[in-house]
Amino acid sequence: MTFPHHHPDDQLLIGYASGQERVGKSLLVATHLAYCPDCRRRVAAFEALCGSWFEELPGEAATDLDGLLDRMDGLLAAPPASADMAPPRVSDVAGQQAGRLVPEPLRSWLPEAIDSPVDCGSWTELSPGVWLSAWQRTLSGTTICLLRMAHDAPVPAHRHTADELLLVLRGAFSDEYGHYELGDVAQYVADTDHHARGASEEDCICLFLLDGDLIFLDGEEERRAG
Amino acid sequence: MPFSERPSPQDAVPQSPADDRFGELVRSVAQQRDRAAFAALFRQFAPRILQYCQKLGADRGAAEELVQDVMLTVWLKADSYDPAQASVGTWIFTIARNRRIDRLRKEMRPAPDMDDPAMTPASQATPEEAAQLAQGSRQLHGAIETLAPNQSEVLRRSYFLEQTHEEIAEETDVPLGTVKTRLRLALGHLKRSMKDTA
Repeated sequence: MTFPHHHPDDQLLIGYASGQERVGKSLLVATHLAYCPDCRRRVAAFEALCGSWFEELPGEAATDLDGLLDRMDGLLAAPPASADMAPPRVSDVAGQQAGRLVPEPLRSWLPEAIDSPVDCGSWTELSPGVWLSAWQRTLSGTTICLLRMAHDAPVPAHRHTADELLLVLRGAFSDEYGHYELGDVAQYVADTDHHARGASEEDCICLFLLDGDLIFLDGEEERRAG
Repeated sequence: MPFSERPSPQDAVPQSPADDRFGELVRSVAQQRDRAAFAALFRQFAPRILQYCQKLGADRGAAEELVQDVMLTVWLKADSYDPAQASVGTWIFTIARNRRIDRLRKEMRPAPDMDDPAMTPASQATPEEAAQLAQGSRQLHGAIETLAPNQSEVLRRSYFLEQTHEEIAEETDVPLGTVKTRLRLALGHLKRSMKDTA
């Protein structure tokens, strides 16, 4: 078993642990955690740090809350609500190979399996061998969708005005900074030049997150920008 | 909830006497529906939940509702508390964090599902990877403990209290540049703990 080698930075992990990070990036971090025992432990350590800060908050207002404690009496007496409805378990899905499934929490957000054929309307071709999913969400200023790259197909040059993040869900890709496989996170700060290219037999499919506007450069602009 | 796997003995959460006492109270709530134990937990943690919400911008009414919500969760879910994973304070913090995001920020908090068969369990680690995981965890705890107090303070303010750099500069009466430097140093210090395991 190989665990991911490229992780979200500590700002994201602490922000996720503390609750400061918003839902869009938290979705990417949480999905990376499903792949990465190392970051799960890191987040648990940051949660413990936040827990210690929580415990250090002054507690002298205690007496003011006695009324609230009294009012809770009725709630405590109430019989516990019927057991939480368990969400449908994937293990029940016949013949599904867990290893090929996108893990939670992302799976519940997606409308269909990520490897739907590229000509079925779920994908928009950006350039030969590179597609963006028709599924797209904007959450607290962050745009999320899927990016798909065929073997050796280069993602067209683009500029982004804020952070860009990729999480590999299938296959692998490479850029000038490294080689990214299942569960790996690539994080680019604003205005970073990078040239991703599919690097696996099968199409590489990533969760793609963008904080600001994405500007694809045509050939001429790229020469100017470069 | 903290969702780390049950830690191996060498990196289990260190238990202080206070943890033992609160852990005992949670156990009494879980096993005996002990209201006196619940009241003791309430007196300890309710004021902190209230402060936490108010410091993050909730008014008194909303903060009290959240206190009630979180403490009711403690009452109902006491049997899910696992002292091997987190101290009682950390456990209650994670409940308060989640409920705040849910109710005050009106967002949901995406979290991995520990029962998801598509999740990669730590138990799939090769012995070498398992050793690396344990070592990384120890190094991070060490790094957190050795953070300079002023660096820990900027982390606390920016992530736990969600203050902007400008707010931190104003409230702690240090120049904005110093706030940014301390934050960078704090993150650098934590990052060094990852070097050998990355």
